[in-house]
Amino acid sequence: MKKQIEIGRLLRAGTTGFIAGCRVNQLDVPSFGALVRAPLEDGYNVYGIIHDIHIDDDGLVRQLVTASNVSDDVLRDNRENRIVPVEMSVLAVGYEQNGKTYHLLPPRPPLSLDVIYLCNDNEINQFVSAGRFGYFRHILRAKELPIGELFAAHFKQVKSVNHDSVWSKNAVQELMTLLRDDYPTLMSILGALRDIAES
Amino acid sequence: MHKCSMPINYQQAFTQIKQIGEKSKERQKQKEDARKQARELFLAYSSDLDALRSKVESAKQADANIRCAVPLDEHLASSYGIDDSVIQATLIAADGSQIIPNRHEALQYYAINVGAIAMQVGSGNTPETSTDTEIHMLDEFDDTYFSESQIALLRDVAERKKLLEIADKYSGKKIAFTEGQLELWGSVDNENAKEFEKNLQDYLNILKESEKKQVVTAGYIDKPSANWVIKLLEIASTPQEELKNIKKNRPLAGATDLWLFEQILGKHERSALFSLQSKSAEKYTGSIAIHFFYLNVGNEKKPKVARVDIPAWVANDKKILNDLHSALIEQSKIMGNEPFPYLLHRAHEIAVITHREKEEIDRMLAIQIQNNQGEIGRISGKQSAKSLKGRAKR
Repeated sequence: MKKQIEIGRLLRAGTTGFIAGCRVNQLDVPSFGALVRAPLEDGYNVYGIIHDIHIDDDGLVRQLVTASNVSDDVLRDNRENRIVPVEMSVLAVGYEQNGKTYHLLPPRPPLSLDVIYLCNDNEINQFVSAGRFGYFRHILRAKELPIGELFAAHFKQVKSVNHDSVWSKNAVQELMTLLRDDYPTLMSILGALRDIAES
Repeated sequence: MHKCSMPINYQQAFTQIKQIGEKSKERQKQKEDARKQARELFLAYSSDLDALRSKVESAKQADANIRCAVPLDEHLASSYGIDDSVIQATLIAADGSQIIPNRHEALQYYAINVGAIAMQVGSGNTPETSTDTEIHMLDEFDDTYFSESQIALLRDVAERKKLLEIADKYSGKKIAFTEGQLELWGSVDNENAKEFEKNLQDYLNILKESEKKQVVTAGYIDKPSANWVIKLLEIASTPQEELKNIKKNRPLAGATDLWLFEQILGKHERSALFSLQSKSAEKYTGSIAIHFFYLNVGNEKKPKVARVDIPAWVANDKKILNDLHSALIEQSKIMGNEPFPYLLHRAHEIAVITHREKEEIDRMLAIQIQNNQGEIGRISGKQSAKSLKGRAKR
């Protein structure tokens, strides 16, 4: 049985992405660039990459920060009891149906309150190895996102579960091909990738 | 607010606003005179406690409905601080909100939602929160008319009940408070007198039960509007033979308790203790007789004065009183530059029924009634028109 790590539930969704919400005390698990999965009916999973984790303030939090100190009781009350979910924005990058992985936009988005799981090592390997980096298209299309950082976080996650350097080389090669006419974006991505290669 | 395509008549409004502005100077002058007089009387009578109590007795004989403060054994102008130690206690706050039946809507019901929160101070534990929701459907078989004040009455009783219920789960020192006065308030007319009496009896029993279980009980009134101390000063300065007109005669009109204690109380200080002289409060006898003090949860420069209502058994025990005083100050400090007890704010947040939640209850009720072959009433034409979207909405 695969270990499933639940990171939140779906708040709202569209074909190209979805927003999941979680309690603040669940926040130590999801991270920027992590691959996540929303299982729907039998064998149908929507895959996505977390591209933003957002914590909203509210009137009370704004007022509490003006106090000289905030006790542990108050801190925990605000983090665990108050209904201010942490919002995770997820970019849809593919789906799985009948055991086959596609790097295409999902036919249907997940529904409200569907559970979102963090992908485990096997699922990450299976997703990134399927096809030929088709899901890069979805990331590159999202011009408003910090694409370089997102690729760097994604490469780092893949590297932690797949020690085969061939995947990284092929992935970089694919990026160079896709961005042959967009030198600034390519340089920004390669710059971010260099940072993780050197770390 | 009415929806209408016409704006308000600014010309008429402006004329009236101008008149209000013109009268401000004169009113301010009157206010200042009354304040000066009140301050002088307050200081003059500060230690004359026996005479004040006796004058209140006389005023009570002249007019049984008089509502005013009665001094205990602390001088009127005295104030009391607290040490800096944080008390170890479980603090519990409750608040309630309600849905009032509206004959223009399709479904006739009322709902009471009570939210509560308990915090074990200094434990580092996550405070415990809970909510109780009660829905009462009204239909043609039910002749009882539920007014807004009746539902508020039920809500107030439910809040106190909830505090006691939560207090039972904890051991050690327990301090429970709600927002609003300790005296149960409701307009009593022939229609609802019986109902009020029943609720009052429940309420008094809960207060007695709280004492039995040593759950410190308080009502916190932010920005209080009652002027019971000012009324006491008016009684004190009125000749015996004119006391029968004391309700109408207001020689200190313009001076308020709030203003007076903003001048008197330093940072985090409480005022002297008072008991309440009121006909409606006479049912609160013995150890649950209503007492109160004023409390500055702000500082000298920016005072924030609240009134704290307590039963006699809390007022009579200075150790318990100090614990309550400390707890309220610590709670208010949490809120930073706008001091107010944190747990009261949280209880309100938990209890409040939003418009969206009301719509959800409406929807759920409609589905259940229809699924069981029940009949749903019609929304009125007025309500329907008010719900229209469009240009007329301002």
